[in-house]
Amino acid sequence: MSAILEVHDLTKDYRLRGGLRRPVLRAVDQVSFTLTEGRTLALVGESGSGKSTIARILARLEKPTAGRVVLRAPDGTQVPGRFYRDYVQMVFQDPFASLNPFHTIAHHIARPLRLHGRARDRAQTALLVDQLLERVSLAEPALARRRPHELSGGQRQRVAIARALAPGARVVVADEPVSMLDVSIRLDVLKLLARLQREENLAVLYITHDLATARHFSDEILVLYRGRVVERGPADEVILAPRHPYTKLLAAASPDPLARGRAEQIGAEDEIDAASAATAYDHYTGRWTGLQAG
Amino acid sequence: MTNLNADLAAPRPRSGRRVLPRWSPKLAIGVGIIVVIGLWGLAGPVLVGDPDAIRDIGLTAPSGSHLLGTTQTGQDVLAQLAYATRGSLSIGVLVGIMATLLSALFGIVGSYVGGLVDEAFSLLSNLMLVIPGLPLVIVISAFVPASARGSWTIAVVLAITGWAGSARVLRAQTLSLRNRDYIQAARVAGEKRWRVIGVELLPNLLPLLASQFVFTVIGAILSETGLSFLGLGAANSATLGTMLNYAQNGFALQRGAWWWFVPPGLIIALFGCGLALVNFSIDEIINPRLRDIPRRERGNRRREPRPAERLDDGAVLDDGAVLDNGAVLTVRHLSVTYRTENPVHAVRDVSLVLRRGEILGLVGESGCGKTTLAYAINRLHRPPAEVTSGSITLHDRDGDDLDVLAFDRDELRAFRWDRLSMVFQGAMNALNPVLTIRAQLDDVLTTHRPAMSRGERHERCAEALRLVGVDPRRLKAYPHELSGGMRQRVMIAMALLLEPQVVLLDEPTTALDVVVQRGILRELLRLRTALGFAVLFITHDLPLMLEVSDRIAVMRDGRIVEEATAEQIAAEPRHPYTRHLLDSFPSLLGERGAFIRAGEDERGEAARPPAAAPDGGIAAEEVR
Amino acid sequence: MRYYLRKLAFYAAALWGALTLNFFIPRMMPGNPVDILLAKLQQRGANVGPSARRAYELLLGGNTDESLIHQYFAYLGNMLHGDFGVSVSHYPTPVATVITASLPWTVALVGIATLLAVLVGTGLGMVAGWRRGTWLDALVPATTVLAAVPYFWLALILVAVFATKLGWFPLLGGYDVALSPGWNGAFLSSALRYGVLPALTIVISSAGGWLLGMRNMMVSTLAEDHVLTARAKGLTDRRIMVWYAARNAVLPSVAGFAISLGFIVAGSIVTEQVFSYPGIGSQLLEAVQNDDYALMQGIFLVITVAVLGANLLVDLLYALVDPRVKTTG
Repeated sequence: MSAILEVHDLTKDYRLRGGLRRPVLRAVDQVSFTLTEGRTLALVGESGSGKSTIARILARLEKPTAGRVVLRAPDGTQVPGRFYRDYVQMVFQDPFASLNPFHTIAHHIARPLRLHGRARDRAQTALLVDQLLERVSLAEPALARRRPHELSGGQRQRVAIARALAPGARVVVADEPVSMLDVSIRLDVLKLLARLQREENLAVLYITHDLATARHFSDEILVLYRGRVVERGPADEVILAPRHPYTKLLAAASPDPLARGRAEQIGAEDEIDAASAATAYDHYTGRWTGLQAG
Repeated sequence: MTNLNADLAAPRPRSGRRVLPRWSPKLAIGVGIIVVIGLWGLAGPVLVGDPDAIRDIGLTAPSGSHLLGTTQTGQDVLAQLAYATRGSLSIGVLVGIMATLLSALFGIVGSYVGGLVDEAFSLLSNLMLVIPGLPLVIVISAFVPASARGSWTIAVVLAITGWAGSARVLRAQTLSLRNRDYIQAARVAGEKRWRVIGVELLPNLLPLLASQFVFTVIGAILSETGLSFLGLGAANSATLGTMLNYAQNGFALQRGAWWWFVPPGLIIALFGCGLALVNFSIDEIINPRLRDIPRRERGNRRREPRPAERLDDGAVLDDGAVLDNGAVLTVRHLSVTYRTENPVHAVRDVSLVLRRGEILGLVGESGCGKTTLAYAINRLHRPPAEVTSGSITLHDRDGDDLDVLAFDRDELRAFRWDRLSMVFQGAMNALNPVLTIRAQLDDVLTTHRPAMSRGERHERCAEALRLVGVDPRRLKAYPHELSGGMRQRVMIAMALLLEPQVVLLDEPTTALDVVVQRGILRELLRLRTALGFAVLFITHDLPLMLEVSDRIAVMRDGRIVEEATAEQIAAEPRHPYTRHLLDSFPSLLGERGAFIRAGEDERGEAARPPAAAPDGGIAAEEVR
Repeated sequence: MRYYLRKLAFYAAALWGALTLNFFIPRMMPGNPVDILLAKLQQRGANVGPSARRAYELLLGGNTDESLIHQYFAYLGNMLHGDFGVSVSHYPTPVATVITASLPWTVALVGIATLLAVLVGTGLGMVAGWRRGTWLDALVPATTVLAAVPYFWLALILVAVFATKLGWFPLLGGYDVALSPGWNGAFLSSALRYGVLPALTIVISSAGGWLLGMRNMMVSTLAEDHVLTARAKGLTDRRIMVWYAARNAVLPSVAGFAISLGFIVAGSIVTEQVFSYPGIGSQLLEAVQNDDYALMQGIFLVITVAVLGANLLVDLLYALVDPRVKTTG
């Protein structure tokens, strides 16, 4: 088990347009984690927690303000920047927006194949496209020639996953990959991701607001609050035995099909206080960090 | 944009993005006009005689030998018209191409590259836009000696002064497209910048580009005509403008020679009209909302569909359930159909009883008809949706039974919100962005409680906000100044303003974070206990309903497949679809869901009951 | 506040851009306008001193030893003082005086006509959008013909019908020349009568654009969720149409005012020519025909300033009708 993507003290500031002072919003604040082959790490948080910003930085759609992202090849050497996208790919949240309405399904998968040198000629490309579609359980004949609007949301998201795999990616960043899908097909798509991960020994970063799937889909969970990691640990421990007040609040607020009648019992807390927001708990070391200590 | 009407729009064929306009009478007429005038400009000069031949029959009216009469110097007007059409069209198309290229460069490239380049390009095009074009063209033309004023000079000047408007439109559209996920995905795939612009972005801009091209062509023809009419056009050129210039100088107007000055203008007007008609069809690709809706006979539309069968109040429902005396809303055998080419039965024979003060969860996936049902209850459905059978009865607090489907316009208006109010999914869009919160609360009261004084209304609005935990000082705020959760609270306050007996909640918290959602639900439950209204809660979130509702109805393909108390649904769901839905939600604290990681193959979906269509089926069809 | 400052800065920049354009255009063109101009003046027996020559050279360039930058700043100084030089065609009247005499005619004509066109077009567009699917849809293609008609051609037709044929309105001019201009009833009613056809031309040709824009925006807005909310609230149709649909639908029209105004100004210049209306458009063309470069430049600047001013006004107004711009814009 070797680390393949190391994220060190990632920080991202956005300059807000307004006034002469130009206030700065810190969307991501010194976040560190490691993605490992064959394992899934979940980043859990609400909107504004910075989880999507981290995904965009890892996909190189944005540059971090500070911090480092180190990608290692299987032999442990650092991968140079121009090969980064051979290794790291992303699945977007909205399957209705992430496929170009103008192009066929084949185009979406063929392009990364060609760009990353996986296919040399037309025939080989077509063959690989079909293989990839089959890998994501879309072996329907002639599907490759159709356009995105002819597909259902679940089918589109499978195409998006095939696209991410096309360059031969080792790391897949999945940004809320099922939240826009109908509930009855969400698990199918997650199970597909889990199968591909096992078969190809991928490192997966699963970004979600849904604690329940985070718990069952991933090995490790990082809870983000306003850009900071407030709790980290093995998935079951973080959910079943949360230590940080924010994690507890999230867990209490999440609907649970087995928790009938819980609604009325939950306390009136909607916010956590600033002091505890600045702390963090690590299940691996069993220690609190942050301002509380100092 | 997420849209409340999504469910209503469900039966529309998923046409997606079109590349070519739909064929319609408008388009046919437009293309017809353009083709005829274009051919006339191309071939006309070959067919007619010498336009400059001078005869001594000045200003004769149309006749057999001169179909459109002659000018002051006896030139054939028809011959002149042919050459002038050719001149005007060629300069229009020339300018159109140049100006569209300029606007694409400044509008698309600038906004895609972003940063300083975009700022500079956008400033430039905005400046060009506010500096009046024609005076500038006149001044420039005036400084160019007439001998040096060729067609190309004029075309270049017109292109330079005419691109800015299009650039602005293209920039706005590019800015919105460049943040689309598919553009981002192309970047993640490693596409080069020029390929992202050329292959991923540009095809989606084509309809807009075409429409802007059409605009510039019209604009250029009009400007050139104006210039030539003023005698400032290209030297030695023959366009419709120069023709009009000669007509004006030849006193055609004063001498009543209509055949001289009417045809050139008519050609321009017709050509412009043809282009505009084509543009309509292009606009419909860009904005599908503009599509023609079929015209309906007035009488036909006013006719309310009469329920096929009406049962007397207190009658026994088909399924044997005795009508509950505590009921506040009874829906019986309701069917709603979209009368499109392939009629879609969105709601099929649905019967529901909502009891006073209870929370009934209506659970289903997108496209199952739950929103259509909710809208039909309030008669918010619009053509082509129609209630084809059934009845909706509200059992009023004072004992009257109100037949909702029988209301006339004014009765319906009085009924809405007063007896039954709604909270919609996207509070972001459900509030009017340009009115203050106060105005939007206040107009409910002015409409439904005209007797209330200004002060009373204000006090009532403030009280309603306090009720949902919003500071009454927020009455002065506009929706965009509030957070999503706050806006939804305002919507709930608005829904409770008249103390209705039924509140319909259509996915009220779906777009919100769980913590905010939890807070709002808590308020809602508290208010329900305090005020005693009944809730029909529409959602896809079964676990949430299991927690908060008294009874749950599961809907699929327009039918209610199972209805039971929440405890029963949780403990022993009877219908396979209900079971499948329940299984779709892993448990947060329990073990259910471990199969995801454990590696049960996702093709286990084959083992599912056939009732649960895998994605792609109608039931699981996502709709935007 | 920031919104206002940004708008002011933008229009200041636009004004500076126009002034600079005005400075460079004659210098970039072939030929030497100053010589043409001075020759004309001498033909008229005017005694042109070196100071007058320098003033023209600042405006138009020419064979001068001064550096371009020096000329530029001297020119800007002159412009800011309202010193546009002396008109050739009206010698020895200063350009500023000629403009002052004709400007009110245009401002009144274009101002009133534009206001009418906006009101009529937007109002009809609102109703046409609200009642989509009725006979009002037939209005839409009809307006495109009007929008595509050249202003001056429409003017010609109106003159042919209402002035030549029916004799209801005068053929040309801005007022009865027998009257002397002044604030008296006889003169004002004469001016009104002479203004009807030019104003009608502008209203008819530009109202179609407003109608179409408003109608399409109404259709889009009616599909918005807040309109659905308004219907569920049981509000009256009138209130929904005006305060929920039209109130939002009108915003793009307001924001796009600059484009429309450009067309109107262009159209009215040519229209004035048809009616020999004593406005600034006719004056501009006269200046062009007489190679009166100084007057031409002055008029171009004045039109630009007027258009910029109108746009600034509309932009400021926009901040009042759309509460979102002040916080996000």
